[in-house]
Amino acid sequence: MNEIILEIKHLKKYYGKTVGVEDISLKLNKGDIYGFIGPNGAGKSTTIRCIIGLINITNGDIFFNGKKIDKDDTSIKEKIGYLPSEINLYEDLTIKELFDYHALFYKKDLSKRRKELSKLLKIDESKRIDDLSLGNLKKVGIVLSLMHEPELLILDEPTSGLDPIMQSVFHNILLEEQKKGTTILYSSHVLSEVSSLCNKIGFIKNGIIIKEDTIENINKNDYNYLTISSSDIEKIKKELNLTIKEENNNTAKFISDIEINTLLKILSKYNIEKLLIENISLEDLFEEYYK
Amino acid sequence: MIKREFKVNYKSFIIWTLVLIIMFLVVFLIYPFIITDDTVKNLDEMMKVFPPELLKAFNMDISSINSAYGWLKTEGFMFVLLIVGFYSSILGNNVLLKEESDKTIEYLISLPIKRNKILTNKIIVSITYIVLMVLAIGIFNYIALLFSGDFNQKQYILLSITPILIAFPMFSLNLFISSFLHKTKKTIGISLGLVFFFYLLSVLSELSSKIEFIKYFSIYTLSDTRNVITNININPINILISIGISIFFIILTYVNYNKKELL
Repeated sequence: MNEIILEIKHLKKYYGKTVGVEDISLKLNKGDIYGFIGPNGAGKSTTIRCIIGLINITNGDIFFNGKKIDKDDTSIKEKIGYLPSEINLYEDLTIKELFDYHALFYKKDLSKRRKELSKLLKIDESKRIDDLSLGNLKKVGIVLSLMHEPELLILDEPTSGLDPIMQSVFHNILLEEQKKGTTILYSSHVLSEVSSLCNKIGFIKNGIIIKEDTIENINKNDYNYLTISSSDIEKIKKELNLTIKEENNNTAKFISDIEINTLLKILSKYNIEKLLIENISLEDLFEEYYK
Repeated sequence: MIKREFKVNYKSFIIWTLVLIIMFLVVFLIYPFIITDDTVKNLDEMMKVFPPELLKAFNMDISSINSAYGWLKTEGFMFVLLIVGFYSSILGNNVLLKEESDKTIEYLISLPIKRNKILTNKIIVSITYIVLMVLAIGIFNYIALLFSGDFNQKQYILLSITPILIAFPMFSLNLFISSFLHKTKKTIGISLGLVFFFYLLSVLSELSSKIEFIKYFSIYTLSDTRNVITNININPINILISIGISIFFIILTYVNYNKKELL
């Protein structure tokens, strides 16, 4: 049985009357890289901020290793690494001073991993934080999130600002981490990196996970555009219970994740005038969900 | 973390302390030259023109400004009280809020440290700097007074402690207010406004017995320099109220900060 590292149960977060997150439930098993996909304002960062303890949860629970996360539980925080989308660090410090300061909060020696990461990401520790470009700041953030060898790594738009070479280095670091058993929550809207890195994907829209699946299933092309013309279209719509992309008289275009044989079995009960099945790529799927 | 807090707040401590020390240095250097027999006579004449209530408000009815120590006991300590008040207020408003305003709170909160510990470290550093400021000014003036002539040592030592009675409550009140805010932009107005407001209440309460009651609404009443000058003691009730107000607002800050949304 897979060991669940992070579990979110019916997370709800309201800012006054404004919805931040409506209802998020997800599970990350040990070694998962979970792609948390959604457009700006969908609730990705709000969910992450609830996990980190920056903001209070309106309803629901978050568990780490089966233990309910309390925002002040330092034993849990020791095992979590966090890279925010917008990094703000102490500008009066050099990178070396910041890394030294960071290490003070952990009960173990972080020097070895710090050296490895600094070397991989080509970081000059003598530079001051306020002199760094966005990309270099991101690299410092990556080291800070990883140097204590966390069990759970939370990354919010981690590659924004990184050049393609560094993105590739970073992805390799993440795959190495995954091999070691690190669980990663990877929030992004760059679909190419999500599809190449993650083994699970959750689509979030208006604070709700509207679709969750393994990348294996998505790549198997179980996702199709399904156009059906039938006099029984209302009954078919009811039975299939799929997202409808377009509708016109007796014709409906669905986004389907039903396996073809199963689908044909269902449809054989009805009078079908026209049937068209087209593949959907991850990009198309994203566009469909967020139209 | 506490070491970093000391480093971060070091500059403003030095600047505010130097402002007061330079001001007093200038006064102590020029006072012997401006105080001659003629000026003392003129000053005494001038004081007779002022209404007694006004003189009372600035302790000028019980102390003459015709010596450096006399000036220190009246106008001098008014500046000390105001500037220590400003410093404490600004520190109270900024010490926590700066992390949010600079958005470094996101990094800090992700570290394995409790919110209470963050707050405690910041309070310890702030209180240390407030005490150091009062001490630095007290010691500087003490040395300057040794060169300037006679002064009542006990009276002076007690007087130099009085700013702490207003500084801690001002700090804790502002700290509490800051626990509701997210940006430091507007806090300078709140800090300075509160100091002026409380100081004004304290001065106005001396002007007429009819409005004397308003002194109970001012933190500045706790300094009670008038009692220190005349009776050479600090009213223990003022010490207790000062500690009480400080603890009250600090406890409320802990409660509020633990619930705060760090946006």
